[in-house]
Amino acid sequence: MKNQTDVIIVGSGAAGSLMAAKLSEAGKKVTILEAGPERRLEDLTSSQIHARRLKWGGAPVEENGKQPIGNVFNSGYGTGGSALHHYAVWPRLHVEDFKVKSLYSRAVDWPIAYDDIRPYYDKIQQEVGISGDHAAEIWRPKGDPYPLPPVPAFQQSEIIARGFAKLGKRTSPLPLAINSRDYQGRTACLWDGWCDAGCPTRALASPLAHYLPKAIKQDVNIIHNAAVTRILTDKSGKKAIGVHYHDKDDAEIILMADVVILAAYAIQNPRLLLNSADGGLANRSGLVGAYIMSHAAALVYGLFDQETDPYMGATGGQMLNQDSYDHKDQRIKGFGSYQWMIAQAVKPNDLLGYGGSNPGLYGAKLTEFMARAAHHFGTMTACVEDLPLQENHVKLSSKKDKFGIPLAHVHHTSHADSYALWQGAKQEGIEIFKAAGATEFWNGPLGPMHIMGGTIMGDTAENSVTNSYGQCHDIDNLFIAGPGLFPTSGGVNPTFTVHALTLRSSEYILNNWSGVIS
Amino acid sequence: MIRAPALRPPTDHPLMKKNKQEEGSIKINRREFSLGSGAFTMAFLLGDGVINLTPAEAKTRKIPFRSLDQKQVSTLDFLSDAIVPGAKSAGLSHFIDHQLSAAYEDNLLILRYLRVNPPFKNFYASALKAFERSVRLKYNKSPLDLSEAEISEFISIMMQNNPAGWPETEQKSEQGPPPAPFFYFVLRSDAIDVTYGTMSSFDSMDIPYMAHIAPSHPWEAPS
Repeated sequence: MKNQTDVIIVGSGAAGSLMAAKLSEAGKKVTILEAGPERRLEDLTSSQIHARRLKWGGAPVEENGKQPIGNVFNSGYGTGGSALHHYAVWPRLHVEDFKVKSLYSRAVDWPIAYDDIRPYYDKIQQEVGISGDHAAEIWRPKGDPYPLPPVPAFQQSEIIARGFAKLGKRTSPLPLAINSRDYQGRTACLWDGWCDAGCPTRALASPLAHYLPKAIKQDVNIIHNAAVTRILTDKSGKKAIGVHYHDKDDAEIILMADVVILAAYAIQNPRLLLNSADGGLANRSGLVGAYIMSHAAALVYGLFDQETDPYMGATGGQMLNQDSYDHKDQRIKGFGSYQWMIAQAVKPNDLLGYGGSNPGLYGAKLTEFMARAAHHFGTMTACVEDLPLQENHVKLSSKKDKFGIPLAHVHHTSHADSYALWQGAKQEGIEIFKAAGATEFWNGPLGPMHIMGGTIMGDTAENSVTNSYGQCHDIDNLFIAGPGLFPTSGGVNPTFTVHALTLRSSEYILNNWSGVIS
Repeated sequence: MIRAPALRPPTDHPLMKKNKQEEGSIKINRREFSLGSGAFTMAFLLGDGVINLTPAEAKTRKIPFRSLDQKQVSTLDFLSDAIVPGAKSAGLSHFIDHQLSAAYEDNLLILRYLRVNPPFKNFYASALKAFERSVRLKYNKSPLDLSEAEISEFISIMMQNNPAGWPETEQKSEQGPPPAPFFYFVLRSDAIDVTYGTMSSFDSMDIPYMAHIAPSHPWEAPS
């Protein structure tokens, strides 16, 4: 069975849905192939247990290395992809994030500078809506003010912020792509802390809330349970002509298109490329799958005498500190940038719940702890930069999925300086909690947070997989979208940057359509 | 920066009202969704029909187990309740048993987050076997006969290292049992899920649940 469309997008997450909306609004016929099942707003049950269905449920991913990347927790499966359960913390990368090699002779440079992406940050925040206080956010690079007032501060953040202030550190409202008031036809948040389970009210800017409805309005066709196995090329191997996939009934389908865009996140994109040709498609550099990165989460927990109301707010937090961001070579330990996301709304259970924060407690002591933590718990998380290493990679496993396609095998061990940076952040967090008056305080283990790299952008086919628009160096009509393009991770959450890069790429594709498909 | 005083949970929070049934149980204030629509239920076979039950209800009604045998259930109940008091009556064994036969993409066990690929049955079966073997080696009796002090002592050991008699295998091994500290962490997390992750447990801790869409069948123990 063969079909034809203008554009195939593999994946319906943050990048795929935005790309679909923009290309279809410009008149292109777009089909999205989503590996997982259909998700609707009314499926998003407020429960940390039910939330697990939103996470990766496709072909198993093998992981090894000292700090595995945590594919299932960090990935999504079904409509909206991982952005359906993301926490909508949307800070910008900083100016020096794009020039790490030039400035510090470390890692690599991006092929673009902050000024190249700034207009797209500004456009996206206006379209989607970000709540924040640009003046209070003193570390923020240049950009338009946020279109929405900042998120409210509840007890937990006010108490922890006192610790920052006592140590001479600064805090600001956390920039969140969550409506602090009604905006763009979407309602304001009620600050109930169910972001991880998916936001059915559309206050949080998930794909299901914002860009997918725009795409569907333009008759974009979304095919669910479509397991793409290969990108097809012409005989020259230099032009993509479509994809092969298995549908929900396991039937094999070939869909033809003028342009193919891979937006299936940082693990499955390289898996697809590596499975599409001997030695990998678009892999002249040999770097398909290389430079996989994951932010290290430095977790700080504490109990306070005051009531903290830890169930109120957003899962991503309420306040921000980026005092340890710029001047990557001036950290007490290690090298890089990190930010504190302060006062996450927490539930009793799940990996990030307070019940799991102190696993040494059991029996009667656990019962006592759970009762106290319900009202006196506080937490904050540092998002710690992960320096890119070529040996951190996605490769094909010897094991195969039910379609006979090799599984992804992911190796990740943190750079020694990134690990040291994480250790330093943990220690700083404890000092802050002490200063804030916590009566008990402790750290959690290193948690992998976000997945980036694997198909990095760059200036040449020798040092990267794509150019700055996500266009593969080797195949003009094959594009990559999403955090897999990041050459470095920075120390901020990636989803805002994913949106900005994707918007920039969509404009490039439309402005150069005839050249792209020729 | 100047900020307004910290906010406290408003007593008129629309979702709090909803939880307390002050605005009826059908429509969410300011929202378009019906409570419970499209949510997960645990379906159990009973006779010729299928019924939806909470794990606790399944336990009370003695719904047959699908994957675990009675000895495994007894051991699981005993150990989990010692780690998280209340787990047994919350129906932990039925929850795990039910999920062991669930499709991977629908699976709700926390194990899926922890770099263990399916199937999960051997994870629990092999760990319970290792637990029994180690207990017998140390105390010369069945786990179910351990005193409160003895099981507490054993838990304090297994959370840190493999006790004597516990086979040494890799965490992700599909053959042997997981390391004892990892099994402890997983079982503790499962037990916290069913004991503290429910609407009724939120109520008991005086935490507002504030569901946008409540679980269709709250996992609460029958009164």
